[in-house]
Amino acid sequence: MTEGAERIHFENSNEIGCFARLTNTYCICASGGSENFFSFIEERLGHHIPVIHGSISETRLVGNLTAGNKNGILVPMETTDDELQVLRDSLPDSVRVKRVEERLSALGNTIACNDYFALIHPELDKETEEMIVDVLGVEAFRTTIGSNALVGSYCTFNNKGGMVHPMVSTGELDELSSLLQIPLCTGTVNRGSDVIGGGLVVNDWAAFCGNDTTTTELTVIDAIFKIKDSMTEENEFSSDMKGALIDTFS
Amino acid sequence: MRIYKCYFCSSNIYPGHGMVFIRNDSKIFRFCRSKCNKLFKAKKNPRKLKWTKASRAARGKEMVNDPVLDFEKRRNEPVRYNRFTMIKTIQAMKRIDEIKVARQKRFWNKRMEKAKEHKINNIQRELEKHVDLITDETVKGHILEKLEEKREKQIDKNNKMRKKVDPEEEEEEQEIVEYVPYKRRKSNSKKKQSTEAQ
Repeated sequence: MTEGAERIHFENSNEIGCFARLTNTYCICASGGSENFFSFIEERLGHHIPVIHGSISETRLVGNLTAGNKNGILVPMETTDDELQVLRDSLPDSVRVKRVEERLSALGNTIACNDYFALIHPELDKETEEMIVDVLGVEAFRTTIGSNALVGSYCTFNNKGGMVHPMVSTGELDELSSLLQIPLCTGTVNRGSDVIGGGLVVNDWAAFCGNDTTTTELTVIDAIFKIKDSMTEENEFSSDMKGALIDTFS
Repeated sequence: MRIYKCYFCSSNIYPGHGMVFIRNDSKIFRFCRSKCNKLFKAKKNPRKLKWTKASRAARGKEMVNDPVLDFEKRRNEPVRYNRFTMIKTIQAMKRIDEIKVARQKRFWNKRMEKAKEHKINNIQRELEKHVDLITDETVKGHILEKLEEKREKQIDKNNKMRKKVDPEEEEEEQEIVEYVPYKRRKSNSKKKQSTEAQ
């Protein structure tokens, strides 16, 4: 596995967040005409977690339309029975798959979550909120991110940090950070695009962003999501590895 | 491929049939044919038309609240594919269908029994009402006999009622005679007790 965030594109589109849903226990990719995107991600993550093809209501927008973390995944009502069955069969048993009756069916845009909490759109149904709490095993907070109601599009989290779009004031950022108890920062992807959920997919040890992302943006992403750290400091077997390496060198 | 139910009449919609209407609050309405679509557009209430499943169920003409009906349902949480459970399910489906048909038939028979009584009563009443129009002597005699029987029964009933009512009335009168104000009664009872003690 390489260090730091990597740039990829999905069929010449930089908005890879629309076409993939990445969590700590699985990764769902859209099946496109070319398999470059899928094989790239599979090469990086395939040894650790299942990387699978999926579609939602016969579209490729798996990232936009689903919300999930290591505990489960929520899909909208438009998902056909076959697609639901495919998800169930290819994801591990510990991951709950559930279809949600919700007016705002782009769940990926309206829900931003990691394994412990979820920020949700203020107009989401009460039943949907209960479902999020139940299936994803998280605490749910109804918020907007700097007057933007589409929390899923304008911010991204993993368990170590999060990034929000640049129009959020410092006060608001502090407030959110203390609510979620993880460090947050503002930032952009894809050379100044503020649609962070669209341009970036991230879990605890890997991050992928669109092809246009600048090096500066990559550095910010690495720093806040602690992608590089996971290999060197916190990860258990990486410390083992380090010991082995030192042994061989000495 | 899914076989949906019509929003209006609850009949099956097979692939390639009917049409779908999606309201701007993203609620989906599926119709099995133009008839249902038109009636929906005319804002008809499906419960107020006799032929729809909704209205039949509302008037107690369909078997609802039966556990057999709970098997056929859209489920939101899928179960992992397993060849063994799949085979079992398919076998069970046939058996469940048999049970469902049998229960529906039983339900129908029960309904028809009631309807039969009702029908017989109606015919009887009609015949008795228009006895004079019947030309066939034997039939006419038969019905007249029945009418006579009925009349006698009615008279008996009335007499009984009168007898029942009469003694009650007498008792009531007695009670009224015996009625005395509370205070005096108390003193009376005391007196009675004292006399008894003596």
